Amino acid sequence: MLMKKLALAGAVAMLGTTSAMACAFQNEVEVKSLSAGFEAWKAVTDAMSECGNVSAELDQEFRTKQPAAFAANPSLYALGGVSNGTVTPLLNEGTIRPLDDLVEAYGQNLSPNQLIRIDGQIMAIAMMVNTQHMMYRTDIFEELGLEVPTTYDEVLTAAAAIQEAGVVEYPLGATMKSGWNLAQDFNNMFVGFGGDFYNDDSTPAVNSEAGVKALEMMKALTEYMDPEYLVSDSTYVQQQFQQGKIAMANLWASRGGAMNDEAESSVVGKVGSAAAPLAMAGGVPATTLWWDGIVVAKNIDDATAEAAFRVAMEGLDSEMVQGANDTAIWLVEGYQPSDMAQGAIATATAQPAPPSYPSTSQMGLMHTALGNELPSFFTGDRTATEALAAVEEAYSSAAKEAGLLQ
Amino acid sequence: MSDASIPRAMRQPFSLKLASNAFLLVWLLLAAFPLVWVLLMSFKSPVDAFSSNAWEVISGPRTLADGAGISIVDIVLFVVFAWGAIKAATVWLMPMATAEGTLQKIFNWAVIALGFGVLAVIGLFFLLPVVAAPIEGLLGPLGQPIFGLTTQHYAAVWVENAFYENFRNSMVVTIGVVTVSLTVGTLAGYGLARSGSTFAFWILIIALIFRALPHSVLVAGYLPVFINSAELLSPILGENAPTLYGQPLAVIAVLVSINQPFTIWMLRSFFQNIPVDLDESARVDGCTHFQAFRWVIMPVMWPGVITTGLFSFLLAYNDFLVTSLLLDASNQTMVPAIAGYFNRETTTTDQVEAVAAAVSITAPLFLLVMIFQRQIVSGLTAGAVKG
Amino acid sequence: MVPEFRANSGETFSALHSYARFLTGPTDIGVKLRDSPGFPMQRSRNTSGTEASVKFKTFAMFVGPSVFLMLLFIAFPLVTVLVNSFQVTQPIFTTQEVETCTPGFLQQTCVTEVKTIPVLDDDGNTVTRTEWVGFRSYANVLGGERAIAALSGLDFGALLQIDFWKALRFTLTFTLITLPLVLIVGLAIAVVVNNASRAVKGPVIFVSLLPFIITPVIGALSIRWLFYGDGIVTVWLEALWNTDLSVAANGWAIEFLMMFYRVWHVAPFAFVIFYAGLQTVNQDTLESAVIDGASRWERLRYVVIPHLMPLIVFITLIHLMDAYRAFEEVIGFSSESHRITLQYLTYDYLTPDDAGNRAVSSASASAMLTMIGVVILLAAPLRRTWRDHRGG
Repeated sequence: MLMKKLALAGAVAMLGTTSAMACAFQNEVEVKSLSAGFEAWKAVTDAMSECGNVSAELDQEFRTKQPAAFAANPSLYALGGVSNGTVTPLLNEGTIRPLDDLVEAYGQNLSPNQLIRIDGQIMAIAMMVNTQHMMYRTDIFEELGLEVPTTYDEVLTAAAAIQEAGVVEYPLGATMKSGWNLAQDFNNMFVGFGGDFYNDDSTPAVNSEAGVKALEMMKALTEYMDPEYLVSDSTYVQQQFQQGKIAMANLWASRGGAMNDEAESSVVGKVGSAAAPLAMAGGVPATTLWWDGIVVAKNIDDATAEAAFRVAMEGLDSEMVQGANDTAIWLVEGYQPSDMAQGAIATATAQPAPPSYPSTSQMGLMHTALGNELPSFFTGDRTATEALAAVEEAYSSAAKEAGLLQ
Repeated sequence: MSDASIPRAMRQPFSLKLASNAFLLVWLLLAAFPLVWVLLMSFKSPVDAFSSNAWEVISGPRTLADGAGISIVDIVLFVVFAWGAIKAATVWLMPMATAEGTLQKIFNWAVIALGFGVLAVIGLFFLLPVVAAPIEGLLGPLGQPIFGLTTQHYAAVWVENAFYENFRNSMVVTIGVVTVSLTVGTLAGYGLARSGSTFAFWILIIALIFRALPHSVLVAGYLPVFINSAELLSPILGENAPTLYGQPLAVIAVLVSINQPFTIWMLRSFFQNIPVDLDESARVDGCTHFQAFRWVIMPVMWPGVITTGLFSFLLAYNDFLVTSLLLDASNQTMVPAIAGYFNRETTTTDQVEAVAAAVSITAPLFLLVMIFQRQIVSGLTAGAVKG
Repeated sequence: MVPEFRANSGETFSALHSYARFLTGPTDIGVKLRDSPGFPMQRSRNTSGTEASVKFKTFAMFVGPSVFLMLLFIAFPLVTVLVNSFQVTQPIFTTQEVETCTPGFLQQTCVTEVKTIPVLDDDGNTVTRTEWVGFRSYANVLGGERAIAALSGLDFGALLQIDFWKALRFTLTFTLITLPLVLIVGLAIAVVVNNASRAVKGPVIFVSLLPFIITPVIGALSIRWLFYGDGIVTVWLEALWNTDLSVAANGWAIEFLMMFYRVWHVAPFAFVIFYAGLQTVNQDTLESAVIDGASRWERLRYVVIPHLMPLIVFITLIHLMDAYRAFEEVIGFSSESHRITLQYLTYDYLTPDDAGNRAVSSASASAMLTMIGVVILLAAPLRRTWRDHRGG
């Protein structure tokens, strides 16, 4: 068994060295890239490596390193993997280059949808979209004769029915780990209730009716969750699904593939996806849209930038997508949406459409303040308005230190 | 310390002995259980590893169903192999390691431990399966797998994810830190032990306060400087100015500095217990301070140095904060590499692979403690820890 | 594979061991051990000016490399931290309309909005402004008016809602509760191992050291997996008490686990040091204590513990420092929503958010406050060291 695996690994390694054919050209310039480390990035950077002279760093600390590393002269990396959240500091500090001429020369296979334009200039190439949407156990819903919920009030009704039937340990899961995850869950719900994060003078405005409603809805949902929800991140929710402990969750589309992974999941083929529920009738789905993509550093010579871009195009070709179809909702040509992708597509094409995650310098501070102050509401130490007032205070103090508020 | 040498009055009543041994047993269980459990998890498929049923984690039904399991024959063969390996180690290898001089001895130990490790891995993963297969076929039911056990995560970590590169990087950083730390620290510790001046005392006190500094503050201070060092140093070094970020040497310097306070405190109190008369008499014979240090002190200082060195080793080997922020992928050490499996975007398989990697990185620590545990205690006994 | 353990007969240190015997002397070890052995070099110092300066030069050559490294990599950053805590550096922002086009699944959506973006100079660098703010960052970290209101109203509940005070409360409790536990458990293991029969000593010491040598993050996770979610120990406890437990949902349970982990991790360190110390307890003194009719407890209390006193001080010093800047526990047990430590607070200020903001000034202030706390905690053991120095 093991011998066979070793032989296989050896063969794969051999393929890696001989399969430069998979790449359309032989890259001679050293190209370094820095990105996050999730499955989609593994697929893309592996495809890039086939061109030779590519060293890819898939690093959980990339958010800490990227702004400084791209600001160095020469930049320590030629390519960067970003999302609409993490591209902000690079844009603000002007450390990434416009890609218009490179797209013209080498970007024949890109669709216009992939080109991220800021004031008309192409600053990044998107490769995939991501969003949090409803995933649910189709078998349980069928057995109990439940409709797939389209609003959060229906989610509560369905959760109550599932709890009543007692078929799973907890009806609901949620990515509510304190910090980034909890803040993002609040953002989703807040947007769903039509909230605005700031007033016109960029003072915070989360302590509003929408904010209180969002917190109250989240609290109501937690009644049906594992009481340890404040340590529950995406991987934890994914495991809860895989182990058959929960029946539904508003979970990242990029996690869909894992539900049908034979090696990990005991619920293969039993998980379906649907659009993110609405928080209020006539509103937008209570979620935000994200994209992930690549950027090219400014502080490198043009030859390196050209090589980096060509390598990146090889990483984002349809060949790569065929090998990793289910790891993401790809924007690349050749992508075949699977059943699990239906929820994400329904969410992204909903009318009215959910907003893109509003990435700005202010939003970074707001996200941190929410992540730090909201847990006290869920532990019962503060009321909703107290917690939201604390968020506004933390935000204001941080924004003053950052120079965003006077 | 046999019974005969103990005076009657100090012999212990049975009840005390029982209580004492019971406490010891509870402690050993507490100390070992979480680690043994992790070891167990690393050999199971993700479903079994994170099962809430303890028996499923032990027996691994899902792992077995996936076609990876061990039979009675395998277990018997493994026990025989392990017993043989231990015998071989104690009977043949231990005597081989004896040598004149402590450095020589350390070297011998390192070579033998490495060789032994390689042989054990080859025997366990390649020889044993080959031997087991025909026997299993012959024995029928005894040859049927009964416990789920898979080494796929180890294969994934070491072969597919090229963990040996991280291992090599860890070794570079660790050996660098231990060597530099001890060289610099021994000199300083000796100097401080032999000078009773108030200046020396203040160095020690300030070093102590430095040791209390939160590391995250220091590291956050280094990151921008290291990344921009080529730009910052170019006025002085011109074209050759290096980018310190990603350089193992820079990380070694940082870890050595962070560890200096502890090192010089340990070594100073150790040197204080070496009588001053020893180097005084060498000085009378016409040696300089350095000569006295080289020829009189160095031969007797090894127990304290080895103990201190072990603490440096642990610090460098286990460090996460410094190495994860200051090294890039090509030089990444093992602990940050493992932490990489646990990030926001991981899968359950990633987590079990991380467990396998974690067990792997613990193995060298095991060996180290086995070999040096006598020296740790004797070095401490010889006075390396007096406050 | 475990070498047989003989504490008193390792050939490498037999020479040194006899020195140790020589130094500790036949009676009254407690005092002897505590006092420094004495410094002929020191006494002969200052007899003539030239000799002293030569001595200093030699001393500097021995100590120089170490001091240089500490100055460069610790003292220099520390000064930067101190300066940063009194000033704020911020980019100059301007607002302008920006059109951003982002992908949907099928087609792009373009929005034009007013964004606040930093001003860049001609070289493309961000223009920043540095302002001296005095103690404002300290006031921010301490909670400003909310803290004053809570303090003047003696409303501790409100005070503990502020991150710094919450962290301080937990860090202090954590440090002061684990300290005696580490000492007691460490000493107990040392006494019991010393008491165990020789054949098992080697393996027992080996197993006892495991929690200490294990990589901290891994150690914390290994305990977390046993308890969090449906961890097997939680399942056992649920079966035992027939209730439904959610460890990670309760602040006190997490707090208990974090302390448990710390004691589990550090007690072996205390153990090995105490164990080494026990090897040098003078048997003659013990025997004369027995002849004087001292009970077991009295011997431990009046002979062994005074003998180990310097080691207790040593472990206390190290543990106070390490526990006060505890950090791995928060990460390992994901306790952010319930319990945070002071170093975590600093780390949190320093970690950039998605938009790249980091609160360097607040982080520096919080780090300096942590430092001040450590120095206060260390004051007692340090005073003792100072007295010994004077006395020696």
